[in-house]
Amino acid sequence: MRGPMTGTGLVFHIQRFSIHDGPGIRTTVFLKGCVLECFWCHNPEGRHAYPEVRYFPERCIACGSCVSACPQSAHALKGGVHTFLRERCEGTGACVETCFAQALQTSGRLMTVAEVADEVDADREFYTSSGGGVTLSGGEPTLDSAFALAILQKCKERGLHTAIETCGECPWTSLESLLPATDLVMMDIKAMSGAIHRDATGRGNGRILANARRLALSDVPLVFRTPVVRGVNDSQEEIGLIASYIRELAALRQAAAGSRGLPREIRYELLRFHRLASDKYRSLGREYRADSIDPVPEGEMLGLLETARRAGIDARIPQ
Amino acid sequence: MSDDTAGRELTFTERIAMLRATKMRHTEEKWRVLGSMDMDDLPVILPPPESRKVVRIVSGSGLLMTDALFSGFTPKSNHPSGGIFGARACGENIRSLMELHPTYVDPVSSLAGAYIAHFISYRSPGWNPDFDYSHLQGEQEKYRLHHGIGAVQHFCQDMTIGFELGWGGILEKIRRFRDVNTDDEAQELYDGLEHMVLGFQNWIGRHGAAARTMAETEENAQRRRNLLEIAEINTRLVTDPPRTFREACQWMLWYQLAGKMYNMGGSLGRIDQFLYPFYRRDIGEGTLTDEEATFHLACHFVMDTSYTQLGGPDAAGRDTTNRLSFLMLEAAHMLKVPVNVGVSVGREVDPRLLSRSVEILFEDRTGIPKFLGVDRTSEGFARNGYPIALGRERAYSGCHWCAIPGREYTMNDCVKVNFAAVFDVALHEMMSGPGIVPGVEDLWSRFERHLRRSVEVVAESVDFHMDHMYRVFPELHLDLLCHGPIEKGRDASHGGVEFYNLCVDGAGLATVADSFAALEQRIGREGRLSWQELIRLIDGDWPGAGGEKARLMMKNIPRYGSGGSRADAYGLSIARAFTSIVRSRKTPHGFNMIPGIFSWAATIAMGKDVGATPNGRRAREPISHGPNPDPGFRRDAAPTALALAVASVQPGYGNTAPMQIEFDPGLSRSSEDMRKVADLIRTHFELGGTQINMNILDRKAVLEAHRDPATHPDLVVRVTGFSAYFASLSPEMRQVVVNRIIAED
Repeated sequence: MRGPMTGTGLVFHIQRFSIHDGPGIRTTVFLKGCVLECFWCHNPEGRHAYPEVRYFPERCIACGSCVSACPQSAHALKGGVHTFLRERCEGTGACVETCFAQALQTSGRLMTVAEVADEVDADREFYTSSGGGVTLSGGEPTLDSAFALAILQKCKERGLHTAIETCGECPWTSLESLLPATDLVMMDIKAMSGAIHRDATGRGNGRILANARRLALSDVPLVFRTPVVRGVNDSQEEIGLIASYIRELAALRQAAAGSRGLPREIRYELLRFHRLASDKYRSLGREYRADSIDPVPEGEMLGLLETARRAGIDARIPQ
Repeated sequence: MSDDTAGRELTFTERIAMLRATKMRHTEEKWRVLGSMDMDDLPVILPPPESRKVVRIVSGSGLLMTDALFSGFTPKSNHPSGGIFGARACGENIRSLMELHPTYVDPVSSLAGAYIAHFISYRSPGWNPDFDYSHLQGEQEKYRLHHGIGAVQHFCQDMTIGFELGWGGILEKIRRFRDVNTDDEAQELYDGLEHMVLGFQNWIGRHGAAARTMAETEENAQRRRNLLEIAEINTRLVTDPPRTFREACQWMLWYQLAGKMYNMGGSLGRIDQFLYPFYRRDIGEGTLTDEEATFHLACHFVMDTSYTQLGGPDAAGRDTTNRLSFLMLEAAHMLKVPVNVGVSVGREVDPRLLSRSVEILFEDRTGIPKFLGVDRTSEGFARNGYPIALGRERAYSGCHWCAIPGREYTMNDCVKVNFAAVFDVALHEMMSGPGIVPGVEDLWSRFERHLRRSVEVVAESVDFHMDHMYRVFPELHLDLLCHGPIEKGRDASHGGVEFYNLCVDGAGLATVADSFAALEQRIGREGRLSWQELIRLIDGDWPGAGGEKARLMMKNIPRYGSGGSRADAYGLSIARAFTSIVRSRKTPHGFNMIPGIFSWAATIAMGKDVGATPNGRRAREPISHGPNPDPGFRRDAAPTALALAVASVQPGYGNTAPMQIEFDPGLSRSSEDMRKVADLIRTHFELGGTQINMNILDRKAVLEAHRDPATHPDLVVRVTGFSAYFASLSPEMRQVVVNRIIAED
């Protein structure tokens, strides 16, 4: 469902007045599809790189329109009760078109670069006054790097500050291709231990760490981030290891900067996991494995922050 | 100053906490006796149970409400209808009420006074039946107009007149001009004004005496000292103008309390400016500290929730923020009761004032303060042909409005054209005419025609009001502190002041914009239903299961506020049509009219006047609020999209179309986030916005309080232009507030 040739891509959400995805007032564009399977993911509707039908039964008025609309017979109405047979759904979205109650919604819409850029442009005055801009997030924006690049370039042409949020699990060439049009990269490092990373996300972290190193050697302002999840990476050891690695990267950047002058910033942020996504998982008919995980208490977060700072890096917990 | 702390002096902070607790006690008693109230938090205190009579009345803003009368006062009618009409009768009666009014001295407060009854609630009928406007009533009813006939106050005095003259000086001024203007109208006005001043003097003087008596038996040294100071101050203020900051606060409180008592009036305006000379002198002389000044302000605000502007431009456009502006914010912050403080945010705004305001908004979550786009309103006012300096002088002094202190009569917030009702007339006319082929274009031209007619009816109505009001219920209280009424012997409603700019607000913009867009899309483009089916659905209020499906179909279109939609285009067209109609001519008698878009709390009452509408709104549900999109207008509920939409529909002649905005409580309190909110505020005003009513709502608390108000009695929300205790609101108004935050999910 990628469309580099046609200049389209799959967007599952555009959030205006986004204030926690980079500096200033921003618009965050969420591109669909991600290669990691973090079990705590806040945006499960962004994981698959194809449109998905979400179902909110509490909104259903049992009008039956979807039953006749669906070519796959994925909807049934018996005794005034609607059932969604998700296994039959091929994501055509025909049912969504007829569901005025908005009990059925599609996650993922093919948009052109121009459509995305126009929506982003609507808040131009707010970016100007606040030092904001556009952030590409996901999903994973490097997955459809041609589409992502086209959006970033279009936004740069219009004079906007651009940022991406990436998990870093991608070929370096994908990430590298975006850098000329990117003013800030925010990248997750979820764990230093390969085993922990694989358990939590389904993949090892070799490529991520290598990409982090390459990014450090580039000149783009960088923010590394760790979503701190109870039982995954909330130990002093794990955060200490990540922080040490970031210190190493900062030193690399410093050395590489050499004659170029002052190196651009590398910062580190610890993000506190919140259990907010259960409705999203329910609407997708998926299990929310993080449902029973409590957020790491604030005091412990501060302890981890202290650990990171002791490693000698610029670390913080965004509020 | 309770007994357990008799041994030491209480701090100002402790005294403010006690004042707050006292207000809460009074408020809870009002809930028990009067029930809910969808309007400003009137700080009236109930009369003692033995002299209390509960009645249903029409408020100063035209809202039906329950009120308590003080049965110790019996009004004297001067008309067969039982009404009290004209300056003399109103003056005699308010004087008598003041003279019989029990005293109220709280030894914790630095200021004396409270009021226990509204004179307006004794006046029945409110309008003199001799002045018959049945010739207008047919069309007023047809369009469900809030026509303004009989509306009171809603403009602003110049407090410095009182600070200069004191009650003695004002009385002397009335008597001096009595000899200059000898015609009957002037003489009657002077009689009324003189009665009112004599009433004031009696009321204030008795408080001096009461405080002295209380001091005699007071054992606590701090309280005794305070009571003696109150006694001394109020004995002097019977005649003399205030000399100190505290005296000025006391003088101002008397004036405000009387305004509330007389006609539910009372506007403060730019108190950081007119109190500043007192503050500066006292500070300079070392007789006042900032902490003490803040305390006096809090003592005022706990008794008077009137509207206040902080900062803003002087005549030359320079920002006037001073130390007092900050202290007023702190007073409101310490009190955490409904206080209507508006912070001016112009190009020259002091960034510290804005950032402290946003900080308090986040910390207190009371919707206080609100924000004023002073550059836009003053520039807009200049488009009426006035110098911009005059626009800058216009002070924020009411829910959504400004007025030139002491010089302008406005009827602000009193006249409302309900766009939804006008639309309903147009739609039914189109559908009932023989041989008409219905269509959206035809409907638009009918809507425009009826909108024009409804504004004409309003214009004729306000002319009628201006002809007769001085003989019905003159503005005695405001006349005292205006430039002109005493000098000319004319009530402010009858030529007393210099400027007449009558406010005409439109309401229900989103309801109608979304209705047009839904008709265009579902009937016109998609052909999903016929006009006949639509009318059947509307008139039957979306009957049956098919009705609900159709309702949701009409509702779920790209709506006004989503950005770039057809509904957005209709929103703009409605605002432009309304503005151009109001601006196209003066009233038949030549009064200037200024358009605004605001529905106030009447969003509920105006909704009750209108059946189902094609935007999927059910019959009698509230119409949309002011210029705001309906809740749920975008999936991301983006404040920037809201800010753009509201900025785009501004009429632009100095009156406002305020943006009502609720923030996600998940929004943190980091200084970075607060800066972004401040940036949003500034940018909305740069884009043309005129006023912002902002809530950072504690979602959980609001939902709990909606289920059971007793769980959060002290929860304060900004309902619209005014802030109020959530528990004071009717279940319907609470639902309106709840809908706004539920839609953010």
